[in-house]
Amino acid sequence: MGVITISREFGSGGETIARLVAEKTRFLLVNKETITQGLAEHGIEKPAPRLETALSDENLSDAAHRYIEAMHEYIYDLAIRNNLVILGRGGSVLFRDYPPALHVKVIAQFTQRIKRVSKLYDLNTETAVKLVKEQDRDTSRYYRQLFDINWANLRGYDLVLNTEKMGIEDAADMIIAAYRVHAEPRELKDGPSGIDFEDRNFSAPTDEENGHFMHNSEEEFARMLDFYRIRWEYEPKTFMLEWDSEGNVVEAFSPDFYLVDQDLYVELTTQKPKQAWRKNRKIRRMKELYPDVNVRLIDKKGFESLLIKHRPDSED
Amino acid sequence: MTETKIPPVDQLKIILTQEEIEAKIAELGKTISRDYAGKELVMIGVLRGSAYFLVDLTRKMHIPFAIDFISISSYKEQSEAAGVVRITKDLDLSISGKHVLIVEDIVDTGLSLGYLLRNLKTRNPADLKICTLVNVEARRIVEVPVEYKGFDLPNIFVVGYGLDYKEKYRNLQFIAEFDRP
Repeated sequence: MGVITISREFGSGGETIARLVAEKTRFLLVNKETITQGLAEHGIEKPAPRLETALSDENLSDAAHRYIEAMHEYIYDLAIRNNLVILGRGGSVLFRDYPPALHVKVIAQFTQRIKRVSKLYDLNTETAVKLVKEQDRDTSRYYRQLFDINWANLRGYDLVLNTEKMGIEDAADMIIAAYRVHAEPRELKDGPSGIDFEDRNFSAPTDEENGHFMHNSEEEFARMLDFYRIRWEYEPKTFMLEWDSEGNVVEAFSPDFYLVDQDLYVELTTQKPKQAWRKNRKIRRMKELYPDVNVRLIDKKGFESLLIKHRPDSED
Repeated sequence: MTETKIPPVDQLKIILTQEEIEAKIAELGKTISRDYAGKELVMIGVLRGSAYFLVDLTRKMHIPFAIDFISISSYKEQSEAAGVVRITKDLDLSISGKHVLIVEDIVDTGLSLGYLLRNLKTRNPADLKICTLVNVEARRIVEVPVEYKGFDLPNIFVVGYGLDYKEKYRNLQFIAEFDRP
């Protein structure tokens, strides 16, 4: 779906701009608060008030990484059905391979930002300077630790706005205009916008599903394929996903089925979406590394629909 | 064996209203009439779900055509001897050299339709195309070329307008999301 990511220097007005853009486009605004709330509804609690600091904390770093992984999945899930304005949180990196997305960075001179922050939060200049510097440092560290990206580099953005000489309202309108030019024709050209994207949300196998032939669902699926005379192989291939510094494979993935005539790998998961998060990453990784391989996920809901459709007489 | 409770019709969440469906079908009827003008067209309804759609669709067409029906056996979950799919009611008409349009209520996995396409192709029609009221791309396993479609729906379970849950709800004039009990 439509995605506008907005990254901003603290005190540049980017937050207000993002809110305005979301209001005007009726896109869903995704920021720290909505993410925290959304994940909490799934029972996932933030390990510390500030993720940026938790990442560097020995005792909290693991929990922070797990949380961030869940957060990324959450954002990708949201993007399947919604148009989003994503404020911060590495949005431009998360959606860098999604061509219709517009990546915006809002900047302003340091002195300008200090002025804005001290006015906004009613702080003296000294405190404002400290706060702005601290926020800049944290954001920069967040990008470096998570994505190995230099946040100050502007190459990752389609549009950079300097708010020193323009009003907040104008900035928002510029972003919307840029989005229309940049993203909409391409979305149309590429066909229904959701489809490309839905591919990213594929889930990977659970550990308990992995390896042994067969899980009930897999057996059922194999029988169904046989019934429709579709040729299949069971876990014929393993895809390497990650290597350590010495070249040893540390992560791999074997989709459950290969449909020979369709040239398609199928992965079944009967997990609830909530638990499938960690595995989603695997499939995304696979798509990155093996873009020519077709993979399709049949999730819990899809599999149940498949069975419902194929038991017209049963009573459950 | 427990009797499954089925929610009453007025508690279903309507996804597509009768008006929306009627308008879409009128539009499809027009397009198909235009595309098949001057061609020998056979419309094939896949039993049983497509019956409602086929009837209403053909009423909106203004070119000559023939109608026929086909039915294939469906997969039964956890049955010991599942066997393989077969045609349980074949066409009465010959489609050799004819322009064939398969009419479906829903195309999701493409499993049964894939089989049907393979089967009908062997009978040498002039061409073979698919028209479906509802398309659920997110559930596709076998790619099937859908030429005419009414509505694209996400991965939800729907009933109404020919689509059933255990033979219920087919006669609804709208399409509704159905949460399985």
